[in-house]
Amino acid sequence: MSGIPDALNAIPVLGIVFQLVGYLLANLDSISNTTVAIAVPITLAALCGVLCERSGVVNIGLEGIMLTAAFVGWFAAAAAAGAIGTGTPSPFFGATLPLIIGVAAAVVAGMLVSLLHAWLSISLRVDQIISGTIINIGAAGITGYMYSLISAQSLVGAGQFEKYVVPQGVVDLPIVGWLINAVLSQGPVGLLTIAIVIFLQVMLFRSRWGLRTRASGEHPRAAETVGIDVIWLRYRNVVASGALAALGGVWLSMEQTGNFNAGMTQGRGFIGLAAMIVGRWTPLGAFGAALLFASVGGFSQSLTISHPTGNLGDLINLVPGEFWEALPYIITIVVLAGFIGRSIAPAADGVPYERESAS
Amino acid sequence: MTFKHRNVLALLAATALVASACSSSAATASPVVTPSPVVTEAASATAAPSAPSATATPLALKIGVVTDVGRVDDKNFNQYSYEGAKAAATALGTTAEYVVPKDASDYTKDIQSFIDQKYNVIVTVGFNLGDATIKAAKANPNVWFIAVDVAPCVDATGAPDSTFKCAGDASKLLPHLIGVTFQEDQAGYLAGIVAASVSKTGNIGQLGGINNNPAVVRYLQGYQLGAASYKASTKVQTDFFSTGDLGKAYGDPVFGKTFSTQFIKQKGVDVLFQVAGGTGNGALDAACAANILAIGVDVDEYLSYPTADKCIVTSAEKHLSSAVNQTITAISKGTAAGGVSKFNAANDGIGISPFHNTAITIPADVQGKLDTALAAMKAGTLKTCPDTCGTWK
Repeated sequence: MSGIPDALNAIPVLGIVFQLVGYLLANLDSISNTTVAIAVPITLAALCGVLCERSGVVNIGLEGIMLTAAFVGWFAAAAAAGAIGTGTPSPFFGATLPLIIGVAAAVVAGMLVSLLHAWLSISLRVDQIISGTIINIGAAGITGYMYSLISAQSLVGAGQFEKYVVPQGVVDLPIVGWLINAVLSQGPVGLLTIAIVIFLQVMLFRSRWGLRTRASGEHPRAAETVGIDVIWLRYRNVVASGALAALGGVWLSMEQTGNFNAGMTQGRGFIGLAAMIVGRWTPLGAFGAALLFASVGGFSQSLTISHPTGNLGDLINLVPGEFWEALPYIITIVVLAGFIGRSIAPAADGVPYERESAS
Repeated sequence: MTFKHRNVLALLAATALVASACSSSAATASPVVTPSPVVTEAASATAAPSAPSATATPLALKIGVVTDVGRVDDKNFNQYSYEGAKAAATALGTTAEYVVPKDASDYTKDIQSFIDQKYNVIVTVGFNLGDATIKAAKANPNVWFIAVDVAPCVDATGAPDSTFKCAGDASKLLPHLIGVTFQEDQAGYLAGIVAASVSKTGNIGQLGGINNNPAVVRYLQGYQLGAASYKASTKVQTDFFSTGDLGKAYGDPVFGKTFSTQFIKQKGVDVLFQVAGGTGNGALDAACAANILAIGVDVDEYLSYPTADKCIVTSAEKHLSSAVNQTITAISKGTAAGGVSKFNAANDGIGISPFHNTAITIPADVQGKLDTALAAMKAGTLKTCPDTCGTWK
């Protein structure tokens, strides 16, 4: 099953390590594919969080924004398909006009929900945790209710985006083929996510906008004294970040599946928040944290699907299956607890900014 | 200043709560369809002669169906159960009305609304309504309840038993509650025959929700035996979506798709059977995406889940319509008894969906094998479940 010689596997204690490496090598291909798929919505949620919190606004309403966008996008696409027909899928990821309308509607919906959060937390200066909680509860309630109304009629979704198929010649490349395949074998949102991560990382630390964003998250008073309009900047960032979480919703209801389900985010927004903290409020770090969570998820799924043989299998059997299923969450908590001392939030994160003249 | 802002926050919080309350409570308390009280004389005549017990025997049946949330024409449990009730009603010269609950919290209210309107046969659709139905049956001993796909589990007092110890004898404590159950292993067996026949590699897969659900396990066990009966060398790979998380196991198609994609890849199967509700839909998607064949469950999923119709070969079916129809007819004849009513091949309770998809080539000998197996099941000579039936080792 693996490329590791039996002689090495048979070494006491150390052999287990070789068996593990062999097991991972044998299943690398499928685990890596799963990993990127699990990581996409978590990354997008985390990026939304990074953008908000770097400018000084805590946003725990990620889950609600994603859910709203997933619903609105799916519904708009389905309604558009009903009105103008699905049309033939274009070669561009199987995109159809209804699907594109759906994506646009989802992004607008995500930004509107974010605007509500911005208004509450920036203009009204209410407790941002409570504002986010309202968004989460409200989104679950409203989408669930709307969906139950809609599902009373026969409404078929508008389908979904297709994945990019990596040419077989590239997949077969030695050593790097599987990696290229795992990263590029995505739909449009998945591929876009990778681009957004890099773009935001550069922008946040290498651009004027990034500097201003970080300044208003660390010391808004100082930022204001050098002429940065903190309120306006926070508004822009929070609303723009809504588009990112909305893409996560699009991925759920229009890329990975072609349907909406009540409560389909299933906590992915909250995992995104954790990824943001583990990634120390940087886009690249958040992506890395999401990949860590996802790869442990893929690994634990792999354990139940292809149970390892030999001593490694015996060792894994010592622990109940529930443990392996919970492993991604356990790892997240451990990393979170381990990092929390060094992972420092922006100083003014969650503190409403009040202009001197206003008081 | 802060006072005003606090008001805005409170208002929004209240709105959010109202919204979430809306999604979990009915906009209307009354049934969608106003039940018609008109019952023909003929109907009373056919129902009247049979008086099996001392309890008030219905002179005429007034049939109400409480579906699960969703819609009544869902090409799924709701639709087929209602169609069964309608067919029985037509045969008996009466009508069947239905109500679609807006949310789980409406089950009790919607059942009660039929009771209040003096309905005497109430059909509740699906496992989710089990507890509400048992409670209603306990409170209304003179009303017949038909709980579709529920094996009533009650404690010594006749109340629903959430611990699943099932200390009470439901058939004695609740003599007018009929739990309509199905012999899933027989349906799974037929699906297994088809799966083995369309597999090119002889390596097929099946995914269940959680291994503690006897109905899910019976499907999988039947599928294994069915596949082996077609070709003894067929390798059946089995796995479960979760060890205990109900949301992941039955309600998360996004997870279902990633898990199934990985399963298909690692196990190299070329036919996939799934028994996992919404998560199973993700498995059907994954099968399509991986260009392999899939097999539906419970109802004809080629019709109920058109998203994946291009790769669904057939479905292991429960004949809900036939089962509900037969049960209502038995009540009208006075031959019905409380407790579990088991439906299987012998009483047309299970079967396999037609091969709608003409793009998938079914070997010529399959129909013959299916017919033979069905005949043997009817005769009771075919073992479709191992001795550990319902328990996954």
